[in-house]
Amino acid sequence: MVKKTIEDIKNTLKNVDVSETSYVERGYHLAIEAQKENVAAIAEFFDKKGFYLADLCCVDYVDYLELVYFFNNHRELCRVKVAFKVEPEKPAAPTISHIYTIAHWYEREIHEFFGVYFEGHPHLVYLFLHDGIDCYPLRRNKVPVTEDDKKLLNSFKPEEYEDGFFVNLGPQHPSTHGVLRVVVDMDGEYIMSAEPVLGYLHRMHEKMAENRSYLQFLPNPPRMDYLGALNFNLGHVTAVEKLCNIEVPERAQYIRTITAELNRISSHLLWVGAFVADLGGLTPFLYTFDDRENILDILEGITGSRLTYCYFRFGGLYNDVDDTFIDATKQFIKRLRGRFGMYEQLVTKNVIFINRVKGIGVLEPGRTPKYGCSGPVIRSTGIPFDIRKVEPYAAYDKVGFDIPVGTSGDNMDRYMIRIREMEISLNIIEEAVAKLPSGPFKAEKVPKKLKPPKGDVYHTIESPRGELGVYIVSDESDTPYRMRWRVPSYSNLMTFPYIAKGTLIADAIATLGSYDLVIPEIDR
Amino acid sequence: MCELTNIINIIGKETVRAIIGLIGVLIIVVGNALVLTWVERKISGHIQRRIGPKEVGPFGLIQPIADSLKLLGKELITPTNVERPLYYLAPTLIFIPVLVSFIVIPFDSYLQVKDINVGILVILAFSSLSVLSILLAGWGSNNKYSLIGALRSVAQNIAYEIPLLLSILPVIFMTNSLSLKDIVEVQREGWFIWKWQFFAFLIYFIAGVAETNRTPFDLPEAESELVAGFHTEYSGMRFALFFLAEYTNIMIISAIATVFFLGGYLGPFFPGIVWFFIKTYFLVFVIMWFRWTFPRVRFDQLLNFSWKILIPVAFMNLIVTGGLLKL
Amino acid sequence: MGKGGFYLETKAPIIKFAIAEKFLNLARANSIWPMTFGLACCAIEMMAAAMARFDIARFGAEVFRPSPRQADLMIVNGTVTKKMAPTVVTLFEQMPSPKWVIAMGNCAISGGPFAFEGQYNIIEGIDKLIPVDVYIPGCPPRPEALLEGLMKLEEKITGTRRFPIPEKKW
Repeated sequence: MVKKTIEDIKNTLKNVDVSETSYVERGYHLAIEAQKENVAAIAEFFDKKGFYLADLCCVDYVDYLELVYFFNNHRELCRVKVAFKVEPEKPAAPTISHIYTIAHWYEREIHEFFGVYFEGHPHLVYLFLHDGIDCYPLRRNKVPVTEDDKKLLNSFKPEEYEDGFFVNLGPQHPSTHGVLRVVVDMDGEYIMSAEPVLGYLHRMHEKMAENRSYLQFLPNPPRMDYLGALNFNLGHVTAVEKLCNIEVPERAQYIRTITAELNRISSHLLWVGAFVADLGGLTPFLYTFDDRENILDILEGITGSRLTYCYFRFGGLYNDVDDTFIDATKQFIKRLRGRFGMYEQLVTKNVIFINRVKGIGVLEPGRTPKYGCSGPVIRSTGIPFDIRKVEPYAAYDKVGFDIPVGTSGDNMDRYMIRIREMEISLNIIEEAVAKLPSGPFKAEKVPKKLKPPKGDVYHTIESPRGELGVYIVSDESDTPYRMRWRVPSYSNLMTFPYIAKGTLIADAIATLGSYDLVIPEIDR
Repeated sequence: MCELTNIINIIGKETVRAIIGLIGVLIIVVGNALVLTWVERKISGHIQRRIGPKEVGPFGLIQPIADSLKLLGKELITPTNVERPLYYLAPTLIFIPVLVSFIVIPFDSYLQVKDINVGILVILAFSSLSVLSILLAGWGSNNKYSLIGALRSVAQNIAYEIPLLLSILPVIFMTNSLSLKDIVEVQREGWFIWKWQFFAFLIYFIAGVAETNRTPFDLPEAESELVAGFHTEYSGMRFALFFLAEYTNIMIISAIATVFFLGGYLGPFFPGIVWFFIKTYFLVFVIMWFRWTFPRVRFDQLLNFSWKILIPVAFMNLIVTGGLLKL
Repeated sequence: MGKGGFYLETKAPIIKFAIAEKFLNLARANSIWPMTFGLACCAIEMMAAAMARFDIARFGAEVFRPSPRQADLMIVNGTVTKKMAPTVVTLFEQMPSPKWVIAMGNCAISGGPFAFEGQYNIIEGIDKLIPVDVYIPGCPPRPEALLEGLMKLEEKITGTRRFPIPEKKW
């Protein structure tokens, strides 16, 4: 696939500088240097080939700004990095939001954090930051906000539209969504348009990454996605290990798999409870929390925390597991397997639930590459894309499991996929516990002050919500030069305005719940 | 003693009876609300594998009193832009129909405040008034969520009053009287629930649950969608009145179901009033059980269910009953 | 929603009875109704405290009201950013008195792990915006810590604790 792509690029696009990179070291197969004239052409080429835009970020090397595009494929792994240099005074770049819809939001984010102006972007207003901000936060030097941008700051005022009936869903929610505000334009009970407003929980993780050493940044990723904390921790740690070429012992890989899968089960359990609670059935919420407390007890025994675990270190783990953990895990697997029948009877076979959920919130498979959806959202449309199979990390290539895939892309499919994923995770844990090798749990000779070699690396893992990508640029000092987090809920949320148009508000809320959004990871 | 009989003769027996009856009704209404709040929290706790209120008095029995005292002591905020008359009127207006409805319910053969010969008509007429007060609350609050909640509630209540009425009519046909006492007396030969009116009971029960805005039909106060529905802007004792009215409505619906289908106060050994409360509270327990088991029905599914399914079935039931009575 | 201030319906009472106040405070402490206001990670621990294992309902506080007008207690759990700050203040002002605020978690107390040099987006501690009654440290604090915070709040309201800590014997 990689060779074929290189040939196609050389044939179709002229004057494009393509080079093949080492996938094992860098995380991407091809690197392309783009110029202003052919950025849009490159994006169109990849769109025609069926690639999706995995990430669009910007790095501020003080002499120039570099826009980095990552394209990937659902069918066969081929990650392409397109780099495009922009000058630092009055940076401007062509937009690709007419080709990839998700770039709409990525470009707004880059605009407010770096000051890059995208020509041709339909609606370049602020996405995350608040009204009083006076500089571009992620620039290395303090660059004040220009006058044109100051006008764009305060431009979203739904109260001023005379004809619409605007209702705010949030930011204070009676349900468990977190601080997501969706401004909904209603006509009776039907939704004309739904526009999410983000940034209510922007906690500056990317800025903190530049001010903290690699070891000091370890507590931050678990707080980005507090429900899948171990998976974010894993993503961070494996990306840095890839950068520094640290080899992790096998026992640590297996234990990483076991704990990450336990975390996935606990995240899905909470989601099942919250989803049914959104629809009005409050009791399964309590039952799933009960099961979840079991997992929390097991994980507390080895990590020490209940929610925001920080268990993995560079080169292995913080603590070894003991027999209590193994026994408790085996007992838990047996217990949870017996509980699935109860959930099936209480929720899955309930006629009211089926009527609320089947055929609602349908996402067509053809739209998904435009948005870069991932996780259960894309698997519900029928595309079997799971990073654990496509790019195995930790010990996922040593255990056997299959990927549940939906057929119609509605809420019922997403629900069934997550229930199936819980069962599959139980199988993975059982197999990994049986195969657990003995040995060291930590690599030796990992320096306390990590100074990785110069370069950049991109690493993805499968969090309970989808594809998490970490892009680290290092400049041989002990703090990262730039750390970029590509979060799954961000691209999944972008499909919501498209799906919610013309539906009833109760259906829109059910669909929003079925995406399994965690807002701190969107706002970072 | 002479002075008391003199006073009674002056005022009139009926007036004294009415005053005592009203005091009794007030006690029942307030006591019922207190008991039902405690019962709801305990039942929800045990269904959800936990214990409900436990620390406030033995078994949490003082909890409703603590709740009501707290609500009494809360500040009553009136937001600036509300429509004053409607905003103030709504909580009072929702409370009046429930008091009136209790006048005609027979707790025992002699324990009825007034046996009006069109008893059920009084109850149905006054329960329609509560819909009006919900609309006043929603409109007068000057708040989008209240408005949406109130509109949903009005549509729901209008849609479900018809099956309610249609399912009671067969019983009235079989009794030839609108008075509640007569309906209970006729059931000495057998309760209507197994004398051909089982479907009418089901339809009545479903429509009753929808009338009181309880899950699975509780869209007007759908917590996860609209912040709190039509009573979003009410605080303190005004909110308590809405709460009180909801619980009393549950009691009234169950009481009417008992009277019409389950034989009212009839039963062996125990005095009639004990049987009445056993049957009524059993139905109340079932309504509360529904709340913690089922998710919510979507609004258009709700209206479709009423207009397209419940009303035709109720009509068929009515026609079949009429036909059987003629033969 | 009205723009501007809100009109207070009640005036201060002319005569106050100490016994009545004592009973009212006892009633208020035993039926504190929190408002559902979860911002970030600590919200999950607050939900866990309301669930079957830790069961805040034992103390009468299970009725989480979504509307601020019907709630007594605002548990701020999670980081308050500058974009969210006006909302927090509005919600606090909409609650009828007597009202209380618990700051749960390090972020609500003083910015938590996100208060670093050069930070541009968070409020370091919500007591810069609204008056706080009880602080519960932790990142995130355990649900038992939230229950202990509730006990402390009840002590603040009534003067006596429900489960008193035994006195030192030596």
